[in-house]
Amino acid sequence: MTSNIGFVSIVISCILSLFIIILFFKHVLFGGPLHSKFFALYKASFFLIAASFVLLVISFIISDFSIVAVYENSHTDKPFFYKFAGTWGNHEGSMLLFILIISLYGYLFLLFSKQLNFPLRFTTIFFQTSLQFAFLLFLIFTSNPFEKIFPIPNQGLGLNPILQDPLLVLHPPFLYLGYVGFSLVFSLLLGGLICNYYNQSWAAIAKRWIFLPWTFLTFGIGLGSFWAYYELGWGGYWFWDPVENASLMPWIASTALIHSVLVMDKTKKLYNWTAILTILTFVLSLFGTFLVRSGILNSVHAFANDPERGLYILFIISLITFSALVIYILKSPKQTEGESGFVLFSREFSIAANNYLLIFALTVVTIGTTYPILLSVFTGESISVGPQYYNTILAPFVFIFLIVMAIGPYMKWSKNSFAVSKNKLIAFLISSLIVTILASLLLKNQNFIFILGVLCSLYLIISVLYEFAYFKNIKLKQFNFPRVFSHAGFGFLILAITLHYFFSKEFTAKIPLGESVTYKEFVIKFSNYFSKEDKNYQELTGEYEIQKNGEKIVLKPSIRRYSQPQQFTSETSIRGEWLSDMYIAMDYTSDTSDGIGIRFYHNYSIRLIWLSYILIAIGGLLSFMRRKNEQ
Amino acid sequence: MSPATKKRLSYFLISTIVLLVVGKFVYNSLQGNTVYFFSPTDLSNLSEKPNGLIRVGGLVKKNSIKEKQKNASYTFTITDLKNDTYVEYEGLLPNLFQEGKGAVIEGVLKDKKFLLAQKILAKHDENYMPPEVAEALKKSGNWNKNYDQ
Repeated sequence: MTSNIGFVSIVISCILSLFIIILFFKHVLFGGPLHSKFFALYKASFFLIAASFVLLVISFIISDFSIVAVYENSHTDKPFFYKFAGTWGNHEGSMLLFILIISLYGYLFLLFSKQLNFPLRFTTIFFQTSLQFAFLLFLIFTSNPFEKIFPIPNQGLGLNPILQDPLLVLHPPFLYLGYVGFSLVFSLLLGGLICNYYNQSWAAIAKRWIFLPWTFLTFGIGLGSFWAYYELGWGGYWFWDPVENASLMPWIASTALIHSVLVMDKTKKLYNWTAILTILTFVLSLFGTFLVRSGILNSVHAFANDPERGLYILFIISLITFSALVIYILKSPKQTEGESGFVLFSREFSIAANNYLLIFALTVVTIGTTYPILLSVFTGESISVGPQYYNTILAPFVFIFLIVMAIGPYMKWSKNSFAVSKNKLIAFLISSLIVTILASLLLKNQNFIFILGVLCSLYLIISVLYEFAYFKNIKLKQFNFPRVFSHAGFGFLILAITLHYFFSKEFTAKIPLGESVTYKEFVIKFSNYFSKEDKNYQELTGEYEIQKNGEKIVLKPSIRRYSQPQQFTSETSIRGEWLSDMYIAMDYTSDTSDGIGIRFYHNYSIRLIWLSYILIAIGGLLSFMRRKNEQ
Repeated sequence: MSPATKKRLSYFLISTIVLLVVGKFVYNSLQGNTVYFFSPTDLSNLSEKPNGLIRVGGLVKKNSIKEKQKNASYTFTITDLKNDTYVEYEGLLPNLFQEGKGAVIEGVLKDKKFLLAQKILAKHDENYMPPEVAEALKKSGNWNKNYDQ
C-alpha cells in the first residue's frame, strides 16, 4: 500500500514538473502572464517527492519486504538505526534522495528569493524543474525504489556490513547536499544569462548558493575520509580511489568558483570564467554520480551494477552540458565585462593565479580518474593509476598554491600592493623558515620535499595567524572570519599531510596468543581474546598490550562476521594522542591456534587532518551566514 | 606589429610553452605510475615479461594457499581456469581473500608464471567480483553465472 502511494506521488510530481516546463514555454513563446500558480506547482512537486521519500524511509523501518529495494538491502535483525539509514544505502533509495535534494534547493530558493527580479526567479525555477524532471524520468523508468516483489519474502537479504556504521546516516546525505546543491547555482546562472541579469548583482545573489553546498560537500568528504580511516581498516585517510576523486573534482571546481565569484562581485571581472566554472562544477558533480552509479568502478560505493543506468545518466549529463553551453555561447555577457587585464600583485591577480592552479589540479585528478576508464573502453586494456601519480604532480603545485594563498589577502583590490605589504611578507618568511629549520633538526628529517611542505604550510598559517592577532585594529564586522578559518584549515591540512606522509609507520604481523613482537619502539603483546554473539553478527575481539617507552596501553580491535549477508568487517581500535594515533586492525582467521594477524599503524597528525577539515568547512558555513546577514 | 598584437602573441607563446611543459610532466608521471592488469592467460601469451608493477587477477585456486613458516608469508595460485600464476606474498591476507573467490594482486613478475606480490586488493564485498576478474574469466571462457550476483 505505502509502495503504491509512494510511486504514485513520484509520478504525479513528474507530471507536475512537465506541466511547469510547458507553462514556462507557453509564457515565453506566446507571451501573456505567467500562470499564477507557477511557484505553487513547483512547491507541490517538491512536497510530493518529499512525501514519497518519507514513505520509502517508513517502508525500510517497518521492513516492508514487498518492495524489492527493501528486500535486497534490509533485514529484520538489523538495528533500527541502519534500517533507517539503509534507505540511501542502495541505488534506488539514493537516487530518490538525490532528486529530493535537487527539489529541496529549488524550494529553498523560492523561500529566500522573494525580493529578487521576477523573471530571474521563475526562469531559475524552470531550469531547476527541468533537472528534476530528467532525473524523475530516470528514477521511474530505470530505478523505481517502490518496485514490488511477489510472493512477498519473509526475510530480507540485509545491508552490506561495511555500510553498517553510524556515519551512513550523515555521509551520503551530506555529500548529496553538497554536490547536488550546485544544481541551484547552475540554474541560477542559466536563468541569469537568459534574463540578461548576469552581472555584478547576480554574483552577490549567487555567492550564498555556492557557499552552502560547498560547506556540505567539504563536511561530506571529511566524513567519508574519517569513515574510511576507522571503519574500513585501511589505515589511511585518502587513497586516490576513483570514487574519492569523484567527490574531489566538484570540490576543486567549486573552490575555484567561490573565489572567482568574489572577484566578479568586487571588481566586475571574470564574468565568463565564473560562468564556465559554474557549469563545470555542476557537470563534474553529475559526472561523479555517473562514475559511482554506473558500476564501472570497483568500490564499496558501487551498488547494483547496471550499464543501462550508466548510459542514461551519461545521456542526461551530455544533454545538460550541451544545453548549458549553447545558452552560455548565445547569451554570454559581452558589454558588461569590466576593464579587462589584471594589475600585478592585486587581490584579484592572486585569486586568478590560484584559480589557474586549481584548474591544473582539477585536470590532473580528472586525467588520473578517467584515463583508465577511457583506455579500457577504447583498447580493452585495464590499468590503474597509482597514488604516486597524484602525489608527485600535485605536491609542487600545492606549495606554490599555499604561498599565493598567504600573499593574496594582503593585497588590495585592483592595486599593486606589493610594496605596502613587503615587510610583513618577508617577516612571515623569516619566521616560518626558523620554525621549519627547528622542526627539521628536531625531527631529524632533512628531506627536501618535507622541508618545502612544512615551510609553505607554515608560511600560510603564520600569515593567517598574524591577521587574526591584529584584527582589533579593524572593525569586527569587516573582519573576514570565513577566509581566516578556511585558509588556516588548508594550511594545517597540508602540514598534517606532510607530517603524516613522512613519519607514519605501518607494520603487519601474525602473533600467537600470549606472545609478543617488537617493532621499532613498540612491543606488541597479544594477551587475550574473547568472542561474543550479537543480533546480526559474531564478534571476535583481541586484546593487545602495547608498550612504548615504558608506557603501556591496551587496544581491543575486533573482527565481525555478519550472518546476513555473510561478510567480515574489521572494527579497528585506535588510541589517539595529540600528535599520533596507534591503530590496530585485526584480520580474520578461522583458526586462532597459531595466532591472529594484525595490521599496526602508527599514524602521525591524523587528528590535525580532521581538525583541518572542520576548520575549512566552518569557513564555508560562516561565509554563508555572513552573506545572509548582509542582505 | 602593433603593441597589442605583440602583447597577445607573447601571452600566447608563454601559455603554449607552459602548457607543453606541464603536459609533458603529467604524461611522464602518468606513464611511470600506470599499473597494467593481466589475467594469467594474458601473461602466458606474452612474448616478453613486463617490467615494473602489474596487477594480476583471477580466482584463488582451491587448496592452493600455503603458509610459509611463521612469518606471515604465503604462497597461492591465481587462476582464470585456463592458466595459473603462482604468487608469493609476504604480509597478511585480507579478510575477503578466500579460496575460490576473486582477487586482484599487485606486484612484480619474477618470471611469466611467478609474481612477487606487494599488495592484495580485496576491498569488495563477498558476492562482488572485481570487474577485471570477471573480464578475465569471460576471456578464458570460464565465466559462470553463479559468479554474477
